[in-house]
Amino acid sequence: MKFYFVYKTLAHPELVGSYVQPFTIEERLAHARQADKQLGATVPWIVDAMDNRLKHALGDRPNSEFIIDPKGAVVRKRAWSHPAQVRKDLEELVGKADTFTREENIKLKLEPPLKAPAPRGTMPRLQRPRMQAIVMEPVIEKKGLPFYAKLRVEADGPLINRGEGQLYLGFHLDPFHDAHWNNLTSPLKFELELPKGAKFEKAAGEAAKVKASSDTDPREFLIDVANWPVDLPVKLTVTYSACVGERACHVVEQSYVLRRVRDIDGGGARSDGAGMWKPEEFAKQSLASDKDGDGKLSKSEVRGLMLPHFDDFDANKDGLLDAKEIEEVARWLNTHHAPGVPDKPKK
Amino acid sequence: MRSLARFGLGLILAAILGGPALAQREKKDEDFSKEKPAIGEKLPKVSIFDAAGKEFKTADLRGHYTVLTFGCLT
Repeated sequence: MKFYFVYKTLAHPELVGSYVQPFTIEERLAHARQADKQLGATVPWIVDAMDNRLKHALGDRPNSEFIIDPKGAVVRKRAWSHPAQVRKDLEELVGKADTFTREENIKLKLEPPLKAPAPRGTMPRLQRPRMQAIVMEPVIEKKGLPFYAKLRVEADGPLINRGEGQLYLGFHLDPFHDAHWNNLTSPLKFELELPKGAKFEKAAGEAAKVKASSDTDPREFLIDVANWPVDLPVKLTVTYSACVGERACHVVEQSYVLRRVRDIDGGGARSDGAGMWKPEEFAKQSLASDKDGDGKLSKSEVRGLMLPHFDDFDANKDGLLDAKEIEEVARWLNTHHAPGVPDKPKK
Repeated sequence: MRSLARFGLGLILAAILGGPALAQREKKDEDFSKEKPAIGEKLPKVSIFDAAGKEFKTADLRGHYTVLTFGCLT
């Protein structure tokens, strides 16, 4: 029997560790290696191609699960991973295990998400309305610099459907490149090359100047669009200065092609200003797993990221997570902090 | 039946990746069960990558049961 995790496009960019969609297979492989460290898993990863072919072939879900028999046929499938059900499935298909290992008994060596190399919180985040990712193709040059800052493009429903609405442009530093903005030079600027007939509120923009010499906050813009013909792409060119460490600073000019088509692989951003967890709502949703009705969650009642970090979240060390403690989980998720280690702004 | 002991560990790791509290359901499971590949159909033949960046063919998943779970960092 073999187990594989399939590393796919991010379901929720910007959530936890400020991770953004990789642009190359090398970057996606780096994601998979980091996932290995953060999860402490011994199950091997396989990594989807950048055209997301396996995700598309198997139903385009963020966390789907399949059991394949020795002849290569799909014998079980579900839209959401369900370990307890997989155990039952395998008992039916293969037989009962000799030993039974429980989640709470596994001591995984987990590493925290990648840390930003410079402070965050120096520039207020743009509070954007509910939007969806649209297709964006980076123009990658063979010998070009990495995309230290990666563009995320979103559009509201009216813009996607009718060509009239709001467009979000967010330039997010990729933590895998360990770069920070060089605020000692000109701020980030972008220019749009609009097709005939397109009417945008503006075709260029410049980020606000930041007093701090460096930071890692995204540079974000909202643009009103009066008309964007669906079959005509927009070219975007961005110029920015980023440094890796203290000495390797680069002025970078990079380009993208934007299309007014929903990107089914773009994921839904979760960050300050975009889909942040509301702590009370998160606690209420989590407590739906409270099987014994005591108003708290035990280790046997939690799943996902809460489980390996359970002891860190259990502030009063009673072996249970109450609503207030679960609300802190949400705040941690929203601000990418390692549990118990809040970011402190540099003086 | 050592292999079954391993699948116990695999299930736990899948739980960590799963995290339904952190994800929203977009379609119902009933819709998913009707989509391709259907139960009994062969896994589509796709060439992707292993963790080292080498080619990995789903067509090579033969001769044993395989559990595939999709996931990502966020």
